[in-house]
Amino acid sequence: MKEPLPRQRARMTVAVRSRWLGALFLLFALRAAPVAPAQTNKPELHVFLQLDAKSGALEKLLQQQLPTLGVTVFSRYRDLDDASAAVKPDALVAISPVLQQRGKRPALQGTRAGKDIEPYLLVSVGNVLDGPLSGKTIGAVDVMGRDGTQAFVAVLLKTNDIKVKRVAKTEDLLPLLEFSAADGILIPSSALARLTERTRLPIKSKEAPGGSVGLPALAIFNEANKETITKALLAMDAATKKILGIDAWSAR
Amino acid sequence: MIRGSPLPTYLALAALACASLTACATAEIVGRQDETSKSAIEDPPGKPGGKTLLIAMPDSRDFLDARRGLVAEVKKDFNVITFVVTPTTTIDDLAAAIERNTPVCLVLMNNTTLALFQKYQARPSARATPPAVVLMTSFLEEVASGVKGITGIAYEVPAVTGFINLRMVVTARIDRIGVVYRPAFGRFVARQRDLAAREGIETVPMAVPADASADQLRTALQALREQGKIDALWLLNDNGLIHDGAFIAATWRPILQEMNIPLLVGVPNLVDPAQPFGTLSVVPDHESLGLQAANLIFDLADNNWNVGDHPIELPLSVKTVVDVRQVRERFGLRSDALHHVDRALDQSP
Repeated sequence: MKEPLPRQRARMTVAVRSRWLGALFLLFALRAAPVAPAQTNKPELHVFLQLDAKSGALEKLLQQQLPTLGVTVFSRYRDLDDASAAVKPDALVAISPVLQQRGKRPALQGTRAGKDIEPYLLVSVGNVLDGPLSGKTIGAVDVMGRDGTQAFVAVLLKTNDIKVKRVAKTEDLLPLLEFSAADGILIPSSALARLTERTRLPIKSKEAPGGSVGLPALAIFNEANKETITKALLAMDAATKKILGIDAWSAR
Repeated sequence: MIRGSPLPTYLALAALACASLTACATAEIVGRQDETSKSAIEDPPGKPGGKTLLIAMPDSRDFLDARRGLVAEVKKDFNVITFVVTPTTTIDDLAAAIERNTPVCLVLMNNTTLALFQKYQARPSARATPPAVVLMTSFLEEVASGVKGITGIAYEVPAVTGFINLRMVVTARIDRIGVVYRPAFGRFVARQRDLAAREGIETVPMAVPADASADQLRTALQALREQGKIDALWLLNDNGLIHDGAFIAATWRPILQEMNIPLLVGVPNLVDPAQPFGTLSVVPDHESLGLQAANLIFDLADNNWNVGDHPIELPLSVKTVVDVRQVRERFGLRSDALHHVDRALDQSP
């Protein structure tokens, strides 16, 4: 058996061991460099939606559907945030509050059955969550970071006195109910069918009292590529739009 | 490519750059030199007077993924110091890191790190230890009782999560799932059975001795086949049930062929269309585990770091790998299944 090496300490700080500094500098430089998708000449479209489809599968589909664009699908808010901070995309598809958080208005608004908004549902097990929600724990997908998501949920539930359990992905909400780790979860109404397909828990739901939320929309960050991007999205087929939770795009 | 010898100049520039970056900080690493050189951990800039989280962890990939998810969430609210644990890290090393950084909370990753912390607590000279959130530690619910002031997130993916994912991939009915287990796994299996029951899934357990031979395992699997009326099998992450390829070939493979039912596994390597065995693998999503840990830490902070009010949580987020060819040929692939798996392996014959 190989003898262990003599124990050597290597407590690294900024000020010691200059030979490490080169490596540190390289690391710093690498971190500072854009962590964006491979650069192409195509306009770069970021997509961040809370869908049940895996981001890899959706990205592949959208890349086929939108061949004139470079498409990156993000399943986690942090990944979107990090990528956007490194290199600003030409456009972003997300629900309206996410666009508003970035100071943007839709150039194209997704609609379903003629409506551009949908209600959110407060879903629970066994009984509808009636009565005051004060002090309840509510699960929600992390759509806008810690503070943003807390505010988003608070508006929809019309109370600040709730504890929001953020999850990274839509499918992570069901375990919160299965493990009794939350009193309820908040989902777009379009996600209810998929949820009830997955689970045999006695699911109950009611509309969140704080109003509806805008369906997926497109915001443009680089006006120079607006026409290319909107044209590509308008040509998207019906099946793909359905996966995005819409059936049409409407120019704004 | 470096020609000549620009390295000294480069290092001088680097030193200047780093010296000017007061925020530039690296992890504390204690261990063998060859291991330290591989580390790519960089802690975010600290804020003067900020509260500190000390993350004690190995620096291999899965742990780094969990750390990335965690740090992304907590870096605005806490100073983060990462202490890399290697095979040669001692209690003194851990103690020094804790006492030097005075964290409000520790994050401990893996069983070795937790064992070090337990020994640290047991030292007569130990000060009041900070609370700890434990991640990526096998059977945390069992080992936690021996350690003071900890909470955390179990590492084992709840079986019900795997069962639900299996249901969403295959068209075949999945209502009764058989599992063979050794005595050490008895409590774990019982807990999983209760969770699965909430989803209307019956778990059919079959015990084998701790040192189960191939014959004993075959007998147990045959009993499940004949008496269990099971729709799928769940293979625990227990080396004592698989040993090696020859053992699998002598036990699991022939029975699975006869039963023609899907096998749920907890290791992606057991899903391989070239050597069909596992149908679906469900493993922890480490980066999302970091978000769950951050939620727990924020809850603790809001609750004056009182870990007693925070029982160990179950992991919420998983990644899935499916042998599409096996599913398509033997169990029926749901039409939308490929939209819902992380990796679909579909090697042609």
